Amino acid sequence: MNAPTGLDLAAIPERIQSEVQRAIMRSIKGVEYFSTAGPSLGSTPKDVLHSRGTMSLYHYRPMSDEIYRVPVLIVMATTNRGYILDLVPGQSFIEFLLRRGYDVYMLDWSAPRPEEKNLRMEDYVLDFIPDCIRRVQADSGEQDVSVIGYCFGGVLSLLYGSIHKDGPMKNLICFTTPIDFREMKLFSNFSDRRYFDVDRLVDSVGNVPPEMILSSFELLRPASRTVSQIQLWENIWNDEFVKSYRMFDRWATDTLPLAGEYFRAITKDLMWDNKLFNDTMSVGGRAAKLENITVPILHAVAEHDHIVPYDAAKHLIAKIGSADKEEVILKGGHVSLVAGANAVKRLWPKLDSWLGRRST
Amino acid sequence: MTDKITDPVALWQKMVGEMEKGFNSFATKAMETPEFSQAMNRAGGVAAGAQKQIGDLMEKYLLSMNLPSREQMTGIAERLQSIEGQLGEIKSMLSQMSANSGAHQVGAAPRPPRTKRPPSEGGDQK
Repeated sequence: MNAPTGLDLAAIPERIQSEVQRAIMRSIKGVEYFSTAGPSLGSTPKDVLHSRGTMSLYHYRPMSDEIYRVPVLIVMATTNRGYILDLVPGQSFIEFLLRRGYDVYMLDWSAPRPEEKNLRMEDYVLDFIPDCIRRVQADSGEQDVSVIGYCFGGVLSLLYGSIHKDGPMKNLICFTTPIDFREMKLFSNFSDRRYFDVDRLVDSVGNVPPEMILSSFELLRPASRTVSQIQLWENIWNDEFVKSYRMFDRWATDTLPLAGEYFRAITKDLMWDNKLFNDTMSVGGRAAKLENITVPILHAVAEHDHIVPYDAAKHLIAKIGSADKEEVILKGGHVSLVAGANAVKRLWPKLDSWLGRRST
Repeated sequence: MTDKITDPVALWQKMVGEMEKGFNSFATKAMETPEFSQAMNRAGGVAAGAQKQIGDLMEKYLLSMNLPSREQMTGIAERLQSIEGQLGEIKSMLSQMSANSGAHQVGAAPRPPRTKRPPSEGGDQK
């Protein structure tokens, strides 16, 4: 029966009972939460093909009877760990690719050591990526390699592709990749050249500490961490919610330090001078113009990306020299675009249908 | 069941969501100002400067205690890294030689053939 106010009085006892049950479950599950480890992440079987300092190259073991001719190299962002693309079975992008018949490699990063503070942009673009490409070629026996870059991994892949215009990159896929750094408004303001003394910072600390990187990301949405903890408490009775929370929270807080010289170059060349967008970027004295990239390219961006806003990413496709190029805007945020339940339905099938046709 | 308009839990969740949006939006506006950048970087600069001074003092202390300095440890780490790199190269060369000679790699599973076609060309998705 509905009261004149619209309140369903008959449902109130049922609602109270449900809330009491949830309160009891919260207490039980709350204890469980603190006494157990989260789900095991990044467990798709793989072999370490090569490891050198901050760089690791993995090869994932095929899960299909037949694979595409062209292997895929995933270039991870230098600020975060690659297991965001390999969460748990059923929510692993890597597993998805393997089951769809791709031969998958990943260039992943570990924390640069203090003695690696002098790593420069040149080391990443002209040494690490080409080295991995050569090793993928040798391991797979194929000359062509498709490259997938996530976030700043996309920027590194673009720089690599624009300098190595004669190959061997066959296809390029960028996920949420910024090129117009003026449009990353908060990061741009944090690193305002009038107030941010990058030289002093790098000279003082060597590698930029992960706490500083994490704080910068969290400042973009300062209330969200507190709210997510409130939501965790509300939903702690729900095992699926807790599992998902733990996966993403662990990854988000597992931020990597950045090599000092590399950070200096990012700040000066990209944040201050916006060189990639202005076509004045060079790495190791070699011009890195986006128009030099002529291979097929797919750029996937997220509608609600607070880290790489659409305005920072939207000019990529227009500036690329390829005839075969496509941008796809999908619902979701910076992370939910590539990982989690929505990515399974949205990005992954789109990527498969685009890349499969270009991998034979 | 109660609907979302009268459900106190749903109302609470909506309120939290709105507060989050409102605070984030307010904070973003504040953080976009040059004053915020100036204050943030002044604080950050002081912290970095203090860290450097503490580091210098610590180095002098370690020297007086006859302990290796950070620079010396870094030197050792660099040598270790170089050795690791060379080991990696040797491992890679051995794998290459093994592959070239046709020797079977212990534990290595045979690779599937690279003959897959996309579903539209080759029938159903496997």
